[in-house]
Amino acid sequence: MADLEVGAEINEVETLVRRDFLKILTVSAGAVALGATVWPFINALNPTADDLAIANPIIEVGAIAPNSAVRVMWNGQPIYIRKLTPQQIADNLAVVASSLPDPADFTSRVKPGYESFVVVVGLNTGIPCELLGNSPTDARGPVDGWTCPCDGSIYDPLGRVRSGPAPNNLAIPRFSFLNATQIQLG
Amino acid sequence: MSDQTKTWLGSRLPIAHNIGNQLSRKPLAANQPYLAALGMLITATLLFLVLSGVVLSAYYVAAEHRAFQSIQLIMRDVNDGWLIRSFHATGTTMLFAAVYLAIFRALVTGSYRLPGELVWSLKLVFLLLMLLVGYLGYAMQDSAVSYWSLHGVVQTGAGLASFPANIFNWVFGGPAGPGTLTRLAVMHGLLTFIALGVLALHYFAKQAITPPAEKTVPLHPYYTSHHFVAAGVYVLLFAVLVFFAPHLGENPLNQAPANPLLVPAVTTPPWYLLPATALTHALPGTNGGIIAFIAAFAVLFGMPWLDRSAPGARPGFLYKLLVVVLALDVIALCLVAAAGPSTINAVLTIVFIGWYFLHFLVLTPLATARELN
Repeated sequence: MADLEVGAEINEVETLVRRDFLKILTVSAGAVALGATVWPFINALNPTADDLAIANPIIEVGAIAPNSAVRVMWNGQPIYIRKLTPQQIADNLAVVASSLPDPADFTSRVKPGYESFVVVVGLNTGIPCELLGNSPTDARGPVDGWTCPCDGSIYDPLGRVRSGPAPNNLAIPRFSFLNATQIQLG
Repeated sequence: MSDQTKTWLGSRLPIAHNIGNQLSRKPLAANQPYLAALGMLITATLLFLVLSGVVLSAYYVAAEHRAFQSIQLIMRDVNDGWLIRSFHATGTTMLFAAVYLAIFRALVTGSYRLPGELVWSLKLVFLLLMLLVGYLGYAMQDSAVSYWSLHGVVQTGAGLASFPANIFNWVFGGPAGPGTLTRLAVMHGLLTFIALGVLALHYFAKQAITPPAEKTVPLHPYYTSHHFVAAGVYVLLFAVLVFFAPHLGENPLNQAPANPLLVPAVTTPPWYLLPATALTHALPGTNGGIIAFIAAFAVLFGMPWLDRSAPGARPGFLYKLLVVVLALDVIALCLVAAAGPSTINAVLTIVFIGWYFLHFLVLTPLATARELN
């Protein structure tokens, strides 16, 4: 009789193992199915294809004359792309960064190898006004950069604030050079 | 959940704790059929429609001329937007199929009989709300067929002599003016939540009248696994329709944008609105359609009293046969409505609607009067 009891115990253990296995299998299959159903709902909230198509525009910069800037609207903000003159590069390389209200050295404001191009968001960092100074005939202030028509803040050609009330340098958008004459925003 | 968490939740929020515990141990009558899962499936489908509707509403623009474009954007440019819209459209099909089936089941099993009259009425209120929500969703597409349908409804409403013009302007924002679609979209969402409330009332009303069963089993694990099977079949059918027939029962002409200068050749609505459409075409004139619709629902609401069976009697074979004939009659009526207007169809519509009222007003009292306890 003892043998029979041992056998019954083993059967019970086997049943439990099988039941656990089925439970784990069912729960995992359910979790996978739930995930596969929920994912489209989350993915649908990602940027749409038509938004993505215009999200990374390519800008031709080869035709920008030295000492002037072009204005491009991107993500609802004016982006200024300015080509520096050799004189402006030399002047700004000479500036000691620590003497500025928002210290930043020359290399942090340009891309290596493309030092003559400055790309900034053309909005004053104090009162959000669009800056003047893209054309050589605009009011550019004492350092030949940009000025704010609303609060009188003065920026240099690299977009660093020289005098305030604006507290910060101009924001630099995400961009990259595709080649010497094209940049891609975003 | 750990025991500690359970104790903490139980002391801070007793109701959540009690509902969870009582629901899982709730004694239910053994040997319920798979169709007993219909209520759960209808609730789940409606919640699923709310979820997909919320995502769609992130991109849908409720404005003249732009609504159709925004739906095209959803279909083409939104990530998985085609799938979400297909979920929403197919979910509607599944929901109506389940609701029509539940009402048919209630008629066959006689669950509308006293004391089930309130549960039965709430089923009908839910159907009415779903017809309204379904119609609003259909009209919101601002496409070729639905535009003219909405146009007809607005003209009808505005033309009703007894209807105060103000109310109509409040509801529709003037005679299909620029604000109409915005209002339709708001009502589409609002009525859905009211319908969820009706489902809750239906659940509690049903609890109140369910007699204690002789043999009971706890809800968990018996009916969770039992309903799991029903839900599996339901979801499988759902998935097949989503991926292989996302436009099931829709008018293909409705894929074109609304054109205020061109009425489409075929104006068939989606399949789930066909019974209502058939009724509104039943009698001549604007008022005739509305009277037929109200009368059709009035006899349904009157079922608990049109039924002359003895208290506690089970539906007999003759009565059940008549309900099946009625279902076929309604399907035939829908097919005639889908086929469009013609002389023969006008006659057939009268015949099928005549049978519908004959069933409720004459055959049901006669057949059920023979049923004794």
